[in-house]
Amino acid sequence: MSGRIGIALASWAATLLASASLLPLVDRSVWLVQAAILLGLTAGAGAAARRVPLARPLTAAAQLITGVLLLTLLFASEEAFLWFLPTPDAVRELGTLIGNGVGDVGRFTSPAPLTDGIALLLVGGVLLVGLLVDTFAVTYRVAAPAGLPLLALYSVAAGLSDGGAGALWFALAGAGYLVLLLAESRDRLAQWGRVFGGPSRGGFAPRESVGTPTAPTRSGRRIGAVALGLALVVPLVLPSLGAGLLGGTGPGPGGGSGGGGTISAVNPLVSLQNSLNQPENREVLKYRTNAADTDDLYLRIVSLDEFDGTSWKPASRNVSEVPERLPPPPGLAAEVPFTEVSTNISAAGWYAQDWLPMPYPATRVEVPGDWRFEPVNRTLVGDGAQNTRGVQYSVDSLLVRPGAAQLSVADSAAAAPTLPDEFSSVPDSLPAVVERTARQVTRGADNDYERAVRLQDWFAQEGGFVYDTQVRAGSGSEAIARFLRDKEGFCIHFSFAMASMARTLGMPSRVAVGFTPGTAKSSGEMSVGLRDAHAWPELFFEGIGWTRFEPTPNRGSVPEYTRPDVPDSEVDDPEQPEESVSEAPSTRPSDNPDCPRAERALGECGSEEPDAGAAAGSGGPPWGTLLGTAGALLLLAAVVLGPLIWRRRVRGLRLTPAGGGAGPRGVPPLAAWQELTDTAWDHGIPPDEALTPRRAAVRLVELADPGPEAAEAVHRLAGAVEQELYAPRPVPVAGLAEDVEHFRAALHARASRRTRLRALLLPRSAIRVTWAASDRWERLRERGRSAAGRLPRPPRLPRFRGRDAQSG
Amino acid sequence: MTTYDGRASLTDLTATAERVRRSVEGVIEGKPEVVRLSLTVLLAEGHLLIEDVPGVGKTMLAKALARSVDCSVRRIQFTPDLLPSDITGVSVYDQQQAEFEFKPGAIFAQIVIGDEINRASPKTQSALLESMEERQVTVDGHSYALPGPFMVVATQNPVEMEGTYPLPEAQRDRFMARVSIGYPSPDAELRMLDVHGATSPLDDLQPVAHAHDILKLVETVREVHVSDAVRRYAVALVGATRSHPELRLGASPRATLHLVRAAKAAAALAGREFALPDDVQALAVPVLAHRLLPTAQAQLARRTSEQLVHEIVQGTPVPGSSNGSVPHVRRPYSAPRGM
Repeated sequence: MSGRIGIALASWAATLLASASLLPLVDRSVWLVQAAILLGLTAGAGAAARRVPLARPLTAAAQLITGVLLLTLLFASEEAFLWFLPTPDAVRELGTLIGNGVGDVGRFTSPAPLTDGIALLLVGGVLLVGLLVDTFAVTYRVAAPAGLPLLALYSVAAGLSDGGAGALWFALAGAGYLVLLLAESRDRLAQWGRVFGGPSRGGFAPRESVGTPTAPTRSGRRIGAVALGLALVVPLVLPSLGAGLLGGTGPGPGGGSGGGGTISAVNPLVSLQNSLNQPENREVLKYRTNAADTDDLYLRIVSLDEFDGTSWKPASRNVSEVPERLPPPPGLAAEVPFTEVSTNISAAGWYAQDWLPMPYPATRVEVPGDWRFEPVNRTLVGDGAQNTRGVQYSVDSLLVRPGAAQLSVADSAAAAPTLPDEFSSVPDSLPAVVERTARQVTRGADNDYERAVRLQDWFAQEGGFVYDTQVRAGSGSEAIARFLRDKEGFCIHFSFAMASMARTLGMPSRVAVGFTPGTAKSSGEMSVGLRDAHAWPELFFEGIGWTRFEPTPNRGSVPEYTRPDVPDSEVDDPEQPEESVSEAPSTRPSDNPDCPRAERALGECGSEEPDAGAAAGSGGPPWGTLLGTAGALLLLAAVVLGPLIWRRRVRGLRLTPAGGGAGPRGVPPLAAWQELTDTAWDHGIPPDEALTPRRAAVRLVELADPGPEAAEAVHRLAGAVEQELYAPRPVPVAGLAEDVEHFRAALHARASRRTRLRALLLPRSAIRVTWAASDRWERLRERGRSAAGRLPRPPRLPRFRGRDAQSG
Repeated sequence: MTTYDGRASLTDLTATAERVRRSVEGVIEGKPEVVRLSLTVLLAEGHLLIEDVPGVGKTMLAKALARSVDCSVRRIQFTPDLLPSDITGVSVYDQQQAEFEFKPGAIFAQIVIGDEINRASPKTQSALLESMEERQVTVDGHSYALPGPFMVVATQNPVEMEGTYPLPEAQRDRFMARVSIGYPSPDAELRMLDVHGATSPLDDLQPVAHAHDILKLVETVREVHVSDAVRRYAVALVGATRSHPELRLGASPRATLHLVRAAKAAAALAGREFALPDDVQALAVPVLAHRLLPTAQAQLARRTSEQLVHEIVQGTPVPGSSNGSVPHVRRPYSAPRGM
């Protein structure tokens, strides 16, 4: 194995070992296999380029192009030409995947699902780092700087993973780098000749075997192992920023002890956006209920009632034992009709939540485990390590169905003093635009109920809001103001905004977090998935209690009591308000009436329309795309046909008689000779510049065996070259172009089809272009160096040297 | 045919050279390339060093060449007790004339055969330096020109080194070419037995060319055209010997001169009025190899000067044959790694 191949293998291994630190970031590791294969192919392309040989920058460029082609083959083959040549569509697809990947990285916590975007980022990143390592270590023969891209790769892994990458990954990455350094050093050492390993310890006993590692190699390994070991051990005995000097442990999920009668738990909003963006709609809960209609059977986890301007969060309240019968819901008058429903709920084994999802208002809960009851918001929270993992429980709840007329007379603002302050308080930091907007929207409303309905309809239909789960999450005042300005967001934005606006109008409000009713299975069970996670506002009405509203378009169901003008018989379809969404003057996608409800709930309906609208709205043909496509095609054609075109042009120039088509001297012998040798080269006979024309002719005839006539033509041409170069008075020789063509035809006839095709499409002599470019580049560098040498140098200040100063 | 300015035409040259060649080959069986090289050196006004083991015909070649040309021939048997004056001559006081009279030494001949030249002391060997380079002898402050054509054909035995004095570098550099005859092929050896069995072939050898014919041929050779490309090539070859990592002493500028002159003679012998790089390549080993000193490492690796010159020829691009615009496909020489 030659030195370069050894270093290339070491580079490959070092890159893969360093990239192994990315493994914990995603849930599958197949990307590493893909990266290993692609990296190997790229390294092979580099080895081939160096064997040609190409200039160093061209070698790196060849590897880069190979990498792009391979990535295209792997990730955008359907859009590519011949599966691997990038087309504008393929480039667009790769760009989209990269964008998706970046979004996924920001959205998912580790281990993230291996989406196509993340896979492209991982494989492409490893490929890029591998290319840099290979270029440094193999092409430029400096292995030490190759550690920088490896370090960058490891740093990315350490930065993205929680708590940094582990010692194992560090050891792997470090070992890979050391192997690379060792391979490079061995190669450098081997260039000085055979390494003398010194006498064996046993006196003059012969060495055991040829393959025994030499002393410098052993020393290198030992030094590397010791350095790596120290790097792993020393941090353990030194105080560090995270664990030693500052100490402190952060709060964890369910880490509260319930001291003082309260329980702290993680804000469920943190994971809500994650849940909504999960590619797989994993089942969280399933339940059976005796309710005739499950549209209003929202499963509430927690209520966020305290808004301090920074975030919405559940207020810290005393909890108690779960009573057998929960107290009656606050504010619910006896004349309000309701149905008592019973629901048996089963939480998935992987779903660990501190709060117990329940319909509101629950009246009785039978749940195993250590749960506590928070009476104000009527939620159940796990005590200690208790969570919902695999819990099966049953809940009796009320399905309250107030009439519009009842709500119209119910006063909301008047009930505020009877409730805790946190339900009505508005932080000073809340921008004035919130209240101003609320008042504008509700202008003309006669009562709180109408105000609430107008707010809901404004968000859901009239305000031009767009449902988008990719928008940055946030629950503070600024996030609400931004949402009102940009009009893009998802359920938490809608619910926080509506709740805030209601409070500015004096109506007590809170935000409930939980799940929409889910999807009915054929078995009669309802299945609630991760994507059913939802947040909605609840407003308090005197005599009714906490009442749910649904300002989020395309999500959940609009409560019947918020449709006062619609007769009861026509309010059965909760999606009806959403069907009118398309009438709103916005770019929000309109719903397809045929779209299944589940898909509509996921916001997946009508997703094609925005694109179509954008294309139609741009006005005129997509010139950028057309130009890009044309440019890419031209580039592709230039790459594929460039050598052929160049070769034909060169041949034409060489075989053109001097002074025009009917020049007196005919074709210049040297040009004809060059063409002859290049033709032979294209057909697999490389030129030998150390041969005289006469000997070169003999060699060509021997190797090509072109037949007697062509052989005579070759010798005649060599004689003409001798005359041209060495004779005092060269004798013109006619018919040189014909001689060249004769030889070429003979070569062509005797060559295999593959050789002929190669000579046509990829002529070997085309490498002269790169040689010429390399020569030109060298001349430019030389000129630059000489110009730099002529620049006046700053005067050197005398350096103080003790002895010199004393003596002189 | 002789031209009006005293030069022979190329046709005369080739005809005369052919006669001499046949005459010599009548004595030296099966070694046409050696005979041709000897003729080349003669026409290029150089001196020939024949180096080989005893009994292969070194002296015979020298004698045959000398006898084939009708010119004065002297043979010097170099021995340790040979004095410089034996070669150059000595001034003797003539009592009758009351003046010193110069008695020419053995060097005063047109072809001088120096047999076993390495057996003489360095002092005696050095007596040849002036005569070989400047074609004159200086004794007691007087310079005496040597007759033309003048050629020293020296022989030496590279194997038997006891009691010998290796030729100094300056001396070796004055020989245009070194040739090894080598053992004859079995057929040639059989023919030799037939021919040499009864009488010496030298006895029957008659001159086939006169000395002034050779002078005309030399003049013709001088007129052979050497293009700039060929001159550059010769310089490149000699220059490569000076930078070769396995040589501690490269060839001198005199070697370049000898190489080009020999190439001209070879071109003339081939009937060409211009020299080719082929001529230079064919003469590179005999003209350059004996002037080179390999390094100790190369000697330990049993690398000979001939091998190194051969590699240099194989690795040096021929100027002009590729328009000079293409990087070298082959490296000038395969330097050992790490050098």
